[in-house]
Amino acid sequence: MHIYPEQQQGFVERQRVEQHHNIVRQLRSLPQEAHQPYDWTEFRRRCRAKADTESRRGVSSRRYAAIAAAIVLAAVAIAAWVRLAGPGAPALTQSTSGPEFETQPLVFATADSRADAAERWLASLPSEPPVVRVGTRAAVAGLEDRLAQMDDLLSAARVEGTQPARLAALEQQRARLVNSLVQVRFAETLVAESR
Amino acid sequence: MVRLVEIEIPEDILRKACGGDEAAQVVIYTATAPATFALVRRLIGNRALAEDLFQETMMALFQRLVEFRGEAPLGAWLRQIAVSKCLMSLRSPWHRARLHLDSDSEAGSALSALITPAPGPECFDVERALTSLSPTARAVVWLYEVEGYSHEEIARHFGRSISFSKSQLARAHLRLREWFEPTGGRQTCTSIQSNSKVL
Repeated sequence: MHIYPEQQQGFVERQRVEQHHNIVRQLRSLPQEAHQPYDWTEFRRRCRAKADTESRRGVSSRRYAAIAAAIVLAAVAIAAWVRLAGPGAPALTQSTSGPEFETQPLVFATADSRADAAERWLASLPSEPPVVRVGTRAAVAGLEDRLAQMDDLLSAARVEGTQPARLAALEQQRARLVNSLVQVRFAETLVAESR
Repeated sequence: MVRLVEIEIPEDILRKACGGDEAAQVVIYTATAPATFALVRRLIGNRALAEDLFQETMMALFQRLVEFRGEAPLGAWLRQIAVSKCLMSLRSPWHRARLHLDSDSEAGSALSALITPAPGPECFDVERALTSLSPTARAVVWLYEVEGYSHEEIARHFGRSISFSKSQLARAHLRLREWFEPTGGRQTCTSIQSNSKVL
C-alpha cells in the first residue's frame, strides 16, 4: 500500500499531538502533595527567629543612620565654621620651624573680600620686615592656578569674539603671571644652587 | 490527592485563626502545608530556597488572613500568594544566582528535585523531564498545564509579554517531547530506581 507524503505528515502530526497530550496527562497525574518540610512548632520557631533577625536588622540600620546623620552634621558644621570665620580676618596659617617660619595666606572667607583682606593684612605688616626664608610652594601653586584660570578666560573670550582690546588686556595679564612664576622658580633655582 | 486550589477551611476555624487561636492556626497549617510546599517545590526545584519561600508564604498567609474574604477556597488564595512569591524569586537576580550556584552543587543528585514521597515508576520519567527544564520554563509549564493559568496571568506574574510565556511553553514542550522520544535524553528506569534508594 502506497503512503502519500501528506498522509505521512498527518500521521507524524497526530503522533506529536498524542505525545503532547500524554505528557500533559502525566504532568497532571503527578502527586500534588509533599511531606511538609517541618511541623507547626518548627514553623513558629522560624517565624520568631525571622522576627528577631528583622528587629536586629532594624536596630542596626537605625544605628547606621544615626552615625551617618552625625557625620553629615559635623561636616556641615565644619563647612559653616570655615565660611563664617570672619571676612575681616582672613584665616592665616603660620607654620614655624625653629627660628625661621613660613607664612602662607591660605584661606580667605569670600572671594569678594579677598583683595581687601589681603591689603589689610599687608598694611598690618612692618614696613621693613626682617629677612626670612619663605617657602614657595603655595606661591607657585597659586600662580599656576591663576594661569589656568586666565587660560580659561582667554579661551572663552576668543570663542565669544570679545573686543581685541579686552583680549589684549587679558593676554598682558597672563604674561605678567608667567613672568611672576618665572621669577619665583628662578629664585628657587638660585637657592638650590647656593646650598 | 488534594490540590491546593481545592482546599477549603471551615469558616469558624478561619474566624478563630484570625482571632489568634493557635489550635485553629495549626489546623490550617496542617491542611495546607503539604500542598503548598509541593507547589513551591515544583516551581523552584531547589529544596533550600523552596523551604525559605514556603516559610514566607505561610507567614504571609497568617499575617494577611484577616484580609481573606472567603469568595474562593482558602487554598486558591494561598496558591496566589505562593505563586507570586515563587515567581518574584525567579525574577530576582539574587535568587537566580543562588539557584545557579545551588544547582551546581546539586548536580550530583539527579533526583534532587523530586518531591513526592513515593511516586510510581511512571512518575520518575516525567519528574526527571521536568528537572531537565530551566526554572522559568518549568514554572511556565507547571502553571499553564497543571494549575490552569492563562498566558496573560503568567506573563503578568513574570512581568513579561504574553509571547514570552508562549515561547517558553513551546520550547519546554519541545524539550519534554525530546526527552520522551526513544532517541532522546531519557534514561532507563532501572538507574533511576537505583538512585532513589540513595535518597
